[in-house]
Amino acid sequence: MPIKVPKDREVPFGAITPAPVGQQELFITSNWRIVRPVIDHEKCTRCFTCYASCPDSCWSFNEKEEKMEWNWKFCKGCQICIYECPADALSAAPELDFEDGVVRLEKPF
Amino acid sequence: MAKVTEITVWTRGVVLDKEARDVANAFAQAAKTEGKFIQAFDNYEDLPDRVLVTTRKYARISDEEIVMKYEYANHHPDVVVIVEPTIVKGINVLKGMPEGGLLVINTNRPIDYMLKFIPNADMLGAIATVDADGISGVRTVDFSGSEGGVDAAGIGSGIAAPILGAMARVTGMVKKESLSKIVKDVASLDRGYNEVKLQKFRKSRSEYFWGS
Amino acid sequence: MLSGCAAAAQGAKLAEVEVICSYPIRPYTAIMMELARMVANGELDAEFIHGEGEHAQVSVVLGASAAGARAYTGSSGVGVTYAFEVYSPAAGGRYPLQMAIADRTLDPPGDFGSEHTDAMSARDQGWLMGWAATPQEVLDNTLINFRVGEDPAIMLPQFVCQDGYFLSHIPDKVIVPELSQVREFLPPYKAPHPLSTECPVSHGPQIRPDQGAPMDAQRAATFLEVPRVIERAVADYNRIFGRNYDPYLEKYKMEDAEVAYFIQGAHANTCKAAINRLRSKGLKAGMVRPRWVRPWPTQQIAEAFAKVKAVASVETSTSYGGAMRGGNLVHELRASLYDLERRPLVTSFMAGLGGDVILLEDFEYMAKILTQMVQEKKTRQHVYWIGFEE
Repeated sequence: MPIKVPKDREVPFGAITPAPVGQQELFITSNWRIVRPVIDHEKCTRCFTCYASCPDSCWSFNEKEEKMEWNWKFCKGCQICIYECPADALSAAPELDFEDGVVRLEKPF
Repeated sequence: MAKVTEITVWTRGVVLDKEARDVANAFAQAAKTEGKFIQAFDNYEDLPDRVLVTTRKYARISDEEIVMKYEYANHHPDVVVIVEPTIVKGINVLKGMPEGGLLVINTNRPIDYMLKFIPNADMLGAIATVDADGISGVRTVDFSGSEGGVDAAGIGSGIAAPILGAMARVTGMVKKESLSKIVKDVASLDRGYNEVKLQKFRKSRSEYFWGS
Repeated sequence: MLSGCAAAAQGAKLAEVEVICSYPIRPYTAIMMELARMVANGELDAEFIHGEGEHAQVSVVLGASAAGARAYTGSSGVGVTYAFEVYSPAAGGRYPLQMAIADRTLDPPGDFGSEHTDAMSARDQGWLMGWAATPQEVLDNTLINFRVGEDPAIMLPQFVCQDGYFLSHIPDKVIVPELSQVREFLPPYKAPHPLSTECPVSHGPQIRPDQGAPMDAQRAATFLEVPRVIERAVADYNRIFGRNYDPYLEKYKMEDAEVAYFIQGAHANTCKAAINRLRSKGLKAGMVRPRWVRPWPTQQIAEAFAKVKAVASVETSTSYGGAMRGGNLVHELRASLYDLERRPLVTSFMAGLGGDVILLEDFEYMAKILTQMVQEKKTRQHVYWIGFEE
């Protein structure tokens, strides 16, 4: 008696799945935040404290523009970078103030 | 089989979980006191809730005993209630909703602004907003009701009350009087009932009576 | 309206359990959250201990029961299998502790949907075991199991099982009885030889191989006594609390049934609705739901299915490589029906695995297969996988 698993319910062998390298596009967590950090590039001293303190590695240095770049896909709005910034360059703003960063996932995750 | 009206409540875990539970539980309880058959429960896959991660609560209301009790989710919600407004950016909240449904959002922002984030809103019957945070200002946190336990802190002492008032007004499915017997903060319930803003899109589905 | 977990906690509170050992694992964990709240409020006077794992949980309540306390614990999924080593000592040492199991699929991978394999895999350990179908029955089973397990002639530990999520988390109507009624039904626990300084005893000593078989025979003889204790307990329960339980099986529209389902757990409720639909279309279908897996109600099952032409067992558990290559209920079902004059055709359906919802359409598909079997007078397949057939 053959057991035919439908295509949309197929699972990998032994449930062994490849681990992501770089960003995990299958698990975007931007819809977890209700505030986002807003950076004032004038005040920023490029000390990289935000990069070091972010638990999700959402701050990186854009070499070309020589500015700190914020990863909107994975920032969860924990505000640690805002508290840690020694130059007061970061402030929290409600996520709903911004019209970008819309993901509209089908399910929470 | 009688029609089962499905209500989905979207919220964020831990900090707003209790309020959404109150919304689903109180609405269903009120319908029960009016003679309907109900179910009210959390979405199982979202539990245990994590801080600020979106979670769902469900209520089902029917004129007859509900047969399919064990469905994990409300796949075709007629009413979607959003307790924290940023969720419209992060989740396709109208997924599965048949035409002519109702969206209720807790926010003080204008309806036009919220519609920018909901491109498929034209299939809605109506959208309603109520400034529950402004009216009540209290977001209760209570862990005793999560994971299938029993809510020990009572129902409706925070923003759930004005949201319930708004829902009673725009859905017409339960009377405000039934809710006022269950909810603790009746003043906020009344204010939510009176201060809800409604925008209609198309002819409503026949089971609903859109207040005004 | 209480969920199955809340109902189990209410049952434990009414039974006035004295020692509770907890360890979190979904979905049963809500029972322990409720009990912790009751102990903290003073509603329940019990020792609440955090075990360092499920193995520790069962060991702790075993010790408590040996000392003469009414003990309560629980687990789900892989927690049930982690505690496996202690099950036989608990049954062989005759400690009537109770373990509430809210089913969960076994790993891998982590799936918290309901599947009965976790508890079913422990059915040879010598415990009483049975599944409930509604939160009301969870509460009732909690009390009935304490009564049967603590009977001086029985003295066995009990698994009170319920489907994870479907029963444990979805609320339904529950009548919570009064403490006075429960006290009338459930006498206090009297351990025959508790650990004590007045009359020192050794529990669980080392024995010689020639003493092993008599030990096993003693335990088997006890199980022969269990049915009459169950009957008396359920009769008392029905009288005191006003319920209407059959001691062994729940039979639904079996009087004139031609085809029948054999299903345990919460999905039996959907099955009943499906049977109503099938009957309105002219098919005489019925359902038997066993309330006990251990002791297996062999005689009662044989009598229930004697006039049926085809039976389908609905399996929400797996027994890979088993005789029928499917689940494990069907093996004991076939064994129960073997001695009948005229045996019904038997097949099985794997449904609800991994926490899937069994839909009315699935039950109707099963009925179609059963009718086909009756017409052709033979079983084409012993196992059908719902959703995975071509």
